[in-house]
Amino acid sequence: PLSPQTRAARVRVGKGDKPVTYEQAHAPHYIAHRKGWLSLHTGNLCGEAGAAERALEDAFLRRFLHGTFPGLLADAAVLKRRANLLVVCVLLARGLAPAKLHFLGGYAETLLSHFYKCPVRLELQTVPAKVPYKYL
Amino acid sequence: NLMRVQLAGSHVDTQEPKANPLVSVSDEPETLYKRLSLLVKGHDKAVLDSYEYFAVLAAKELGISVEKVHKPPKKIERLTLLKSVHIYKKHRVQYEMRTHYMCLELKYLTSSTAAVYLEYVQRNLPEGVAMEVKKTKIEKIPEHIQKPVWDTLPQVEETEVKS
Repeated sequence: PLSPQTRAARVRVGKGDKPVTYEQAHAPHYIAHRKGWLSLHTGNLCGEAGAAERALEDAFLRRFLHGTFPGLLADAAVLKRRANLLVVCVLLARGLAPAKLHFLGGYAETLLSHFYKCPVRLELQTVPAKVPYKYL
Repeated sequence: NLMRVQLAGSHVDTQEPKANPLVSVSDEPETLYKRLSLLVKGHDKAVLDSYEYFAVLAAKELGISVEKVHKPPKKIERLTLLKSVHIYKKHRVQYEMRTHYMCLELKYLTSSTAAVYLEYVQRNLPEGVAMEVKKTKIEKIPEHIQKPVWDTLPQVEETEVKS
């Protein structure tokens, strides 16, 4: 049973003016029940190695995406690793012209491929606005 | 004119069959596998269930006989770590990592069938899922042990031991 004092990955209840997405609203004990995984790789399975390297890569990728698309990220990026291929699925709000988004996507892909020495595929999708699940 | 039209429309193949550059034909005998065991590991049971359906369907389409599909019990790796960066030994955090397994056993394959099946099934492995493959080869018994030793040795004359 969980203590009410745990603060891990939870958005604290406030005045009711803070819009919160489905991902942010659910606490980590809901993973595999109401939530899915944001980063899919085999590092954490029994008898598999490389969990720390994948975690480091994930942290870098999320910061990189936060920087290349300033203020446009609608939700956390989903990272999928399929046998050396890195698929990054990003949801963006419509703040920039499509031509600029295409350029930023291509730039991110080539830079990350050269940095990580593996093919990186960026799948961008624009959403009209950030969808709030709750107001906390 | 009618004859020419008929010939022009039909596919007149030459005597040689079309040679597909991707298919290689060799005369050496293929290695035979008695059993091909695929152990699939993942964090999400639903993903493993859908992958099991896909793998069994692929095996059926290729004509490979499935021996059995069983699900070994899951393994949970639990960690108890200190909650705080400095002191507070009494307050800890617990994490667990669940690994679900699914074992698919196929019987009596040739090496080329196994290669094709494994390539197809591995290219479509979902992300976050790992696979281990074990192959059991069938080999002919080597010539020097085909007959038992006691049949081939010359008969030794029994000498009486005189005390």
